[in-house]
Amino acid sequence: MAAVPPSSASGGPEPPPPPLQYSLLLQHLVGEQRRPRAWDPAALGGIPSPPKSEEQKMVERAMESCAFKAALACVGGFVLGGAFGIFTAGIDTNVGFDPKDPYRTPTAKEVLKDMGQRGISYAKNFAIVGAMFSCTECVVESYRGKSDWKNSVISGCITGGAIGFRAGLKAGVIGCGGFAAFSAAIDYYLR
Amino acid sequence: CPGLTVPCRMTQACHRKCVPPHYKEAELSKGESVCLDRCVAKYLEVHERMGKKLTELSLQDEELLKRMQQGTGTA
Repeated sequence: MAAVPPSSASGGPEPPPPPLQYSLLLQHLVGEQRRPRAWDPAALGGIPSPPKSEEQKMVERAMESCAFKAALACVGGFVLGGAFGIFTAGIDTNVGFDPKDPYRTPTAKEVLKDMGQRGISYAKNFAIVGAMFSCTECVVESYRGKSDWKNSVISGCITGGAIGFRAGLKAGVIGCGGFAAFSAAIDYYLR
Repeated sequence: CPGLTVPCRMTQACHRKCVPPHYKEAELSKGESVCLDRCVAKYLEVHERMGKKLTELSLQDEELLKRMQQGTGTA
């Protein structure tokens, strides 16, 4: 790898040029003594764009983080669950049933109370499930470094398994399979 | 890549490894951006280690050559 210096068999008045020390050259090019370069972003990407300020970078990093996505899913799940609970309470009334008078219509206060209770209960469930699913999906995607359908299937299995596991192992397995299939179907529809 | 500069080659290599040619949306997904961070860090570390190893090897070569020349010179 080093240069072969010319032999001094010429015998002329000129001394042979000093041998090229590649190691010194390499040290200055790729080794320890290379000059640190500030890479010009305009030259790198080829498309010049205004540099992002530190605050903008921080905000973007926060918005892409797993915690923010989980919080977003939690709030969204809460709202959706609340709406769903109120809606089903309107459809499926079992309030104000009096055994002595089965044909009695429930009062408005009773109906509203039932709607509120069901709404809150559904909202909490949906919020927890949404936050868990979003958090696990984000963590799995960060770990794998890829973004494809397997992320939602794996996190669906984890979420469904965690929910079902409280009722036993078999329920956990069924929950895993069911939720994974559900999220795979949603993912297929969305992609 | 004009001049085969390090950032240009790094961009090409990491794009090939981390960004599959599915262009359903314009934003980089979380997985892709995480992959790009890791790719850049690994590329720079490999570049640094290879540079050190190359200078070490070329130094060894030169020592060997110098010794050979001194050997033939005195002989």
